[in-house]
Amino acid sequence: MATEQTVFEDAPPSLSARRERRLVRAAQEGSTEALAELYAAHWRRAHRAAYLVVHDRAAAEDVAQDAFLAAVDALDRFDRRRPFAPWLHRIVVNRALDWARREALRRRVDSEEAEPIALDQPDLGDELMAALRDLPPEQRAVVVLRHLLEYTPGEIAAMLELPRGTVNSRLRRALDSLRETVEVDR
Amino acid sequence: MKAKLPFNPHGGSNGNLERALREAPVPVEPEAEWRGLEVVLAAYAERRPRRRSTSLPRLAIACAVAALLAALLLSPAGASVRDWVDDVFSGAPPPPPRPGLTAIPGGGRLLVRAGDGPWIVAPDGSRHRLGDYDEASWSPHGLFVAAAAANELSAVAPDGDEHWRLSAPGTVRDPRWSPSGELIAFRAGAGLRVVAGDGSEARPLDDSVAPLAPSWSPRGQPELAYVDARGTLRVVDVERDRAVGRATTLAGIRWLEWGGRGGVLLEGSPRRIQLRPITARGDRNGVALGRPRAFHLPAGEKVADVALAPSGGKVAALLGGRIGGVRRSELIVFDARHRAPVRLLSVPGRLAGLAWAPGGGRLLVGWPRFDEWLFLPTGVAAGQAQAGVSEAFAPGGERGVFPHVEGWCCRATLHDDR
Repeated sequence: MATEQTVFEDAPPSLSARRERRLVRAAQEGSTEALAELYAAHWRRAHRAAYLVVHDRAAAEDVAQDAFLAAVDALDRFDRRRPFAPWLHRIVVNRALDWARREALRRRVDSEEAEPIALDQPDLGDELMAALRDLPPEQRAVVVLRHLLEYTPGEIAAMLELPRGTVNSRLRRALDSLRETVEVDR
Repeated sequence: MKAKLPFNPHGGSNGNLERALREAPVPVEPEAEWRGLEVVLAAYAERRPRRRSTSLPRLAIACAVAALLAALLLSPAGASVRDWVDDVFSGAPPPPPRPGLTAIPGGGRLLVRAGDGPWIVAPDGSRHRLGDYDEASWSPHGLFVAAAAANELSAVAPDGDEHWRLSAPGTVRDPRWSPSGELIAFRAGAGLRVVAGDGSEARPLDDSVAPLAPSWSPRGQPELAYVDARGTLRVVDVERDRAVGRATTLAGIRWLEWGGRGGVLLEGSPRRIQLRPITARGDRNGVALGRPRAFHLPAGEKVADVALAPSGGKVAALLGGRIGGVRRSELIVFDARHRAPVRLLSVPGRLAGLAWAPGGGRLLVGWPRFDEWLFLPTGVAAGQAQAGVSEAFAPGGERGVFPHVEGWCCRATLHDDR
């Protein structure tokens, strides 16, 4: 039987910007191999970002897959002079946010039944993960975009279609909350 | 020493947080990445407007699945798979497809069930629709086709000329012509009936049988094997109307095929495949049904189709299942003497329909995802794939239901095509 839950480190294969542009162009022209290479280069990071927003193993897999499907669907319209990753990450994080919001709404509707939240509770022993999970999904999303995917607040604002000030305030509130619950080795 | 998180929204100074987010273990099934890749590549293959080569998506998917299989086989989760796969030879990648339906490799004629009924495919690939029938099967020399439509059974020449037609008490299914050409057995409603090859003397054999096709003895005797409604395998001498053998068979049996010059009976269910030795007790004195011997199937895989080679020495099986979460299909050839099985093909998605060439040198299997028939050699000859199969049986060129091969004619008239 397959292992139910496995944890692995996810160092994505790195692509130079030039190589990535070539792959995008080849994929637009019909190369399955190019698409497979783009997928291999970006899936793990996309999946990690999705998981850190939704904190649900199955949902993270669905979000990552849906994001790539959406990317495939829009591939012909993609401007290949632009980098591929931000385009994909924008889809990933927005879909993860949609899922997290739906899940939060569903939990509120179901709250009378006091169902436990269907979150994965991996034996991570990681206070940061627990603290991140306690944040509202909107704050999780900006933390992930800023500190995992390393976008600037301006870029995040464009990705989430938010005012830059809103991004900054969400980031500040998120890190304030994390400070209250997490201590990190300096 | 512990410290509070620093915060600087304009810079990258939250190194601890960034490292923690990068390195925090994320729970994920090991096959999730490949599972997603298969879905994404399939979607890409369907939408792709500019196809460079029809073989590319198949190759990429095959490579991806091969990599996934390799990963799984190296993992503890794949141990049971590895144990089984070690027993077989690796399957070759599917042959590159040729556009359109062309000459049938090795010759012979095909009887095909498409969305609008049975079709005949000539050796050169030309084809025509047989008529308004639901299903059909070849006579032993391919001179006629037994065709069923609703509650009627007909004998039809391959050019569509109907020679006779009779009504039966119930929907007619699974007509099977005896090797001598003198009798046709068929299911009608819940029962089993038999009629002479000229359409005369129709009569019931059993009022209640299991929903699978009966099978005639290839020895030329009028002996018919079928499974009754209680799940008992029965062999009857149809001319003498006498039971000549019975045995317990598989629960949920779906395939029954008598072959190997009468010496073996193939019995298959979604969970099990077995071969039963059969021994004749002299001239018309019945048969002895031996103890069946099952083939070992990989854990978690279900039988989608199974077919006995004309010689009776091999059994081809389509197995489907999931390794991890990846749906895949395999074409395995088992040896009747239980030597190591051979995996001819392993592909993502579903394989559908299985037919042996009359001489046993090739297998035809459908691959609906790519709208292809694969003609795979069981020996050393190169395989061949023919694409655009659905369109070939769809008037007007619209892609229709993926066609199912009912029979590859004719064992009685062709030599081995290896």
